[in-house]
Amino acid sequence: MENKYNLKSPAVKRLMKEAAELRDPTEHYHAQPLEDNLFEWHFSVRGPPDSDFDGGVYHGRIVLPPEYPMKPPSIILLTPNGRFEVGKKICLSISGHHPETWQPSWSIRTALIAIIGFMPTKGEGAIGSLDYTPEERKALAKKSQDFCCEACGCSMRSALLALTPNSNPSAEDDKAKELAQQINFKAESSVSRQASESGGAESEPSTLAQGDASTSAGQEASEGSQAEEAEESPATGIEGPRPSTAPSTGRPLSPRQRRAQQHSQQVQRDGREPASRPLFAPTPRQPHDESNAGSVVLIVVLTLALAALIFRRIYLAQEYKFDYEL
Amino acid sequence: MRSCRRRKQISIAKMAEEKQESSQGEVEGVNCLAYDEAIIAQQDRIQQEIANSNPLVSDRQDFAVLQREYAEDDTVYQLKIKDLHKKYSYIRKTRPDGNCFYRAFGFAHLESLLDDSKELQKFKAVATKSKHDLVNEGFTEFTIEDFHNTFMDLIELCEKQPSLQELLNSFNDQNVSDYVVVYLRLLTSGYLQREFGFFQHFIEGGRSVKEFCQQEVEPMSKESDHIHIIALAQALDVSILVEYMDRGEGGTVNHHVFPEGGDPRIFLLYRPGHYDILYK
Repeated sequence: MENKYNLKSPAVKRLMKEAAELRDPTEHYHAQPLEDNLFEWHFSVRGPPDSDFDGGVYHGRIVLPPEYPMKPPSIILLTPNGRFEVGKKICLSISGHHPETWQPSWSIRTALIAIIGFMPTKGEGAIGSLDYTPEERKALAKKSQDFCCEACGCSMRSALLALTPNSNPSAEDDKAKELAQQINFKAESSVSRQASESGGAESEPSTLAQGDASTSAGQEASEGSQAEEAEESPATGIEGPRPSTAPSTGRPLSPRQRRAQQHSQQVQRDGREPASRPLFAPTPRQPHDESNAGSVVLIVVLTLALAALIFRRIYLAQEYKFDYEL
Repeated sequence: MRSCRRRKQISIAKMAEEKQESSQGEVEGVNCLAYDEAIIAQQDRIQQEIANSNPLVSDRQDFAVLQREYAEDDTVYQLKIKDLHKKYSYIRKTRPDGNCFYRAFGFAHLESLLDDSKELQKFKAVATKSKHDLVNEGFTEFTIEDFHNTFMDLIELCEKQPSLQELLNSFNDQNVSDYVVVYLRLLTSGYLQREFGFFQHFIEGGRSVKEFCQQEVEPMSKESDHIHIIALAQALDVSILVEYMDRGEGGTVNHHVFPEGGDPRIFLLYRPGHYDILYK
């Protein structure tokens, strides 16, 4: 690998360093570049304990732009998990969808910790997000251990160090949560913007585009990512039939249904306002009614006054007329 | 029988409706995505356009260049430029990419140290130590290392007393130049967070100093305000004078020295949203 890349390139220098830093798997995360492409990495993260993802180990890709670390990495999950869509770029301020908040001093490790911290947060219609039920997520967490990645030859059962009771996950967890909160804070505003425009439908083309971007840096990327794409589709296929088992929950099942639901949620939200008003009605309504009555009285009085004036005018005019005629 | 058929019709109508709705949702989703990508693409195009017409740091230019930027009958600016001309003779422009303050500061300061080796050594000591301060504050060493090294390389370049053109070339190398900007942003962020008790009062929007740094200081292309300038000036113990030129009436240009009471070696011209370098 050393001969293939320009070691003077800041991105190469940095990625080499990060690859060394992340060489050994930890109990919570592991990531390494693909053998033939320094600009595409595969990672595994452990689902945070005390969440629906407890016991799950999830796999995904990280695509790095040639400008890294000045531009953010893109993160794509490959294991069905119920929180992030499979095969689509994740919408965190840390990933490529919010380049404006990426910080060059963040690293791939930062991104991994952010993903872990972000898993238990609500999707709320952000791009690449899913809001499956806890049961579905737990089932997927169990199943996630069976996942084997053909591209990097990684099996989820052995991807990470085993959790031991003496291992100290709390410090890691706190770090992850803290980071996720920071990121969440910024994501909130952009998420709401996207939600209002109806979040959803991220598409393969952008993933491909990202793949292309990295091709300019590492020639072999396109082949790699094509194989990737082909491999992703069966993964989505697995996801396909499951939803039909629990349609009664009314949970987002496929992207299409999810959007339909979002739509209806929006409608609900619109409808919710008048529905919630009666709760507050007794107190605020009284003054409201009073002022209503007051304005009615005012209108009546003014109308009467106006009428009186008009009548007087007519009367006076007619009197003059009478005078003339007489 | 009839009612049954009717029900069927209704359900078909409903299904059609649903189908329409979902396809509509899909279209919206695609639009949203296209919109998002289009915005990013356009931002990139604008950046590229700016990049093509403005070097990161320009050559030193005569003040007449500044005069020509404004219409002759634009009396407010023409008067102010005349006023500035009493004090300054040259201007060096920076690319308006949101990083201009850091780039202008970085270049102007190193340029001023080219022929002052005593100050240069003092500055080198401050710069060397600054990385440890950042690491102690919790910045990850292996990520800030590259930025720090690039910054130190430039200082070491200055020690060799290179030609001005050499320094200018380094600052126009996007990789080097951006890494210096990142490091100056990190120093600013580090100082703000170290002195958060003081700076907390100047931050708008109910954010903590840390949040402010994450959102307004460390990401590239985020513009700088007083608070950034004060922090960087104090972090590196360098005095900066900024001339503020805007559309306000009065015919004279106000200036401000950071930190107050210092003896500035660097003179910057601020016009709303942008910083350039001034020379006496």
